[in-house]
Amino acid sequence: MASRGQGQSLDSVPSRLNPNPNTSIVLAILTAGFVVLAYSFARVPARPGVVSRPLLVPPGALAIVPGTVRISAGQLMKSGGDVSGLDCYACHHKESPPEVKFDANHRIVLPREHADLIISMRNCAECHPPNDPVKLDYDASGNVIVPAAHQGLLSMAHGHTLRNNNCYNCHDRDQLDQLHTPDGAALKFEQATLLCASCHGPTYRDWMAGAHGRTGGYWDRKAGPIKREECASCHDPHAPAFTGLIPMPGPHPLHPLPRTPAPSVSNDHGL
Amino acid sequence: MASDTTDNGMSRRSFLRTSTVLSAGAAAIAAGLAPLRKLGQFTSVDEFVQKYYKELSPEEMKAVLARIEDEVQRQYGIRPHVRDYKPMNGVEFVYALNLTRCVGCRKCVHACVAENNQSRNPEIQYIRVLRMPNDGTFDVDKGDHNYAPKSVPEPGVFYMPVQCHQCKNPPCVKVCPVKATWQEPDGITVVDYNWCIGCRYCEAACPYWARRFNFTDPSIPPDQLNLNMSYLGNRPRRKGVMEKCHFCIQRTRAGRYPACVEVCPTGSRKFGNILDPDSEVSYILRNKRVLVLKAEVGTLPRFFYYFDV
Repeated sequence: MASRGQGQSLDSVPSRLNPNPNTSIVLAILTAGFVVLAYSFARVPARPGVVSRPLLVPPGALAIVPGTVRISAGQLMKSGGDVSGLDCYACHHKESPPEVKFDANHRIVLPREHADLIISMRNCAECHPPNDPVKLDYDASGNVIVPAAHQGLLSMAHGHTLRNNNCYNCHDRDQLDQLHTPDGAALKFEQATLLCASCHGPTYRDWMAGAHGRTGGYWDRKAGPIKREECASCHDPHAPAFTGLIPMPGPHPLHPLPRTPAPSVSNDHGL
Repeated sequence: MASDTTDNGMSRRSFLRTSTVLSAGAAAIAAGLAPLRKLGQFTSVDEFVQKYYKELSPEEMKAVLARIEDEVQRQYGIRPHVRDYKPMNGVEFVYALNLTRCVGCRKCVHACVAENNQSRNPEIQYIRVLRMPNDGTFDVDKGDHNYAPKSVPEPGVFYMPVQCHQCKNPPCVKVCPVKATWQEPDGITVVDYNWCIGCRYCEAACPYWARRFNFTDPSIPPDQLNLNMSYLGNRPRRKGVMEKCHFCIQRTRAGRYPACVEVCPTGSRKFGNILDPDSEVSYILRNKRVLVLKAEVGTLPRFFYYFDV
């Protein structure tokens, strides 16, 4: 900045602020440095939050989350499409309730993402009034003919060997909405849990203690009620085994792991 | 030239040059420090001088909670309800997980993310589910985090969710240099997010890989924010602090079950007060064959796995 001649002329006049031409040069360099710094700060956004980041979670991934609820066919059909009273809101927002559609046979059309939703046939009386009981038709070999509207809703698959497939093992022969245990004790439909217990004793004992089955609400009985489910809320009595569920998305670390890691390097911390 | 010289020995030329250089330098410094002004959005003076959680008086705590509500409202445009839930007398929380029932659907993972206001991108998950081969070795090195079949459960494997084990002898608490993490009387190990310096010693100390670090500013869509917040629990964290599972402190200290327990479709997850002999966890510990993960490291977890028929 300062020419040599000017510097010499300044030397003859001692300045308290700027005694040496070298100081001016250093100051000039520092100034230039700060200007560069200021420019670069101005270019880089102050909030790391606004830096656009590639989406690690594919936007569609969370939309195909399967439902966790198990509801009865009767409940769904009677609702006529209004499912506001059902437990769909673990995933759905209350403001935009899910839409229920029916096909020509009054069967519920399940969207693809709910392919694993369990709709159980658990109470004929939900749709068939007690004064107009269900008439069963049998084919030549004595098996019940399932009407078109119930096709796919009622599949008999009870037990590992699927041998518990006779309606009257559990249902009353004359009134299907009455139940009886293997030793003949009559039970109402609402007592179906006791019917299950008549064969599945240890599971019933665990369920009574809270160790089996879905739990919600309050662990502190003084603070509020515990929410328990009865057997038929989760298990379709005619096919009690759980069908498969679609797994939800896995971990999304900052630096994604390889898709299927070799077992020995799949984790960093010995776990 | 003598006319240029002022009384204090400075020429007009040198005065002009020096003042130009100085003012340019000052302007450059001011411009360079300008981004610090935006820091005020993140760290207020009140927050900077805030005391340690255990030293806050009830009045100070009230002010701190109100300040956090203000901050969340400013950042997300919606006012939450932040509380400081205290541990209850005669309560010690214990978790039990039925490995026979778990189908590996990962619903617990995402219910936890939604309940506890974890960052969505990158997604921070407290729970990870290991798919383990059913070969009798129980070797966690063979576990796979990234399984993605069309349908679970798959044959020949079992699924083992792992989260914070809320150890009775927690190594993460021992290594914290600033005591920003500690064990509460009800057994929950908590983090004071305002006291954490982000050194990540606790993450290294945890044998269960249960702690998560905010490497970036968490991003949560405001409409997905859980407004029921607690100071030691699910209030929004920021970049550079550690977080972990706290058994949904905002739910469990109000008597409710954690989110992962409520969402589990198979009822594999059980939670309760071990000091209550009628609780389901007491029943499970009395009647089931329970096991803890890495028993040999002596952490005494409050998280038990069990199998049944």
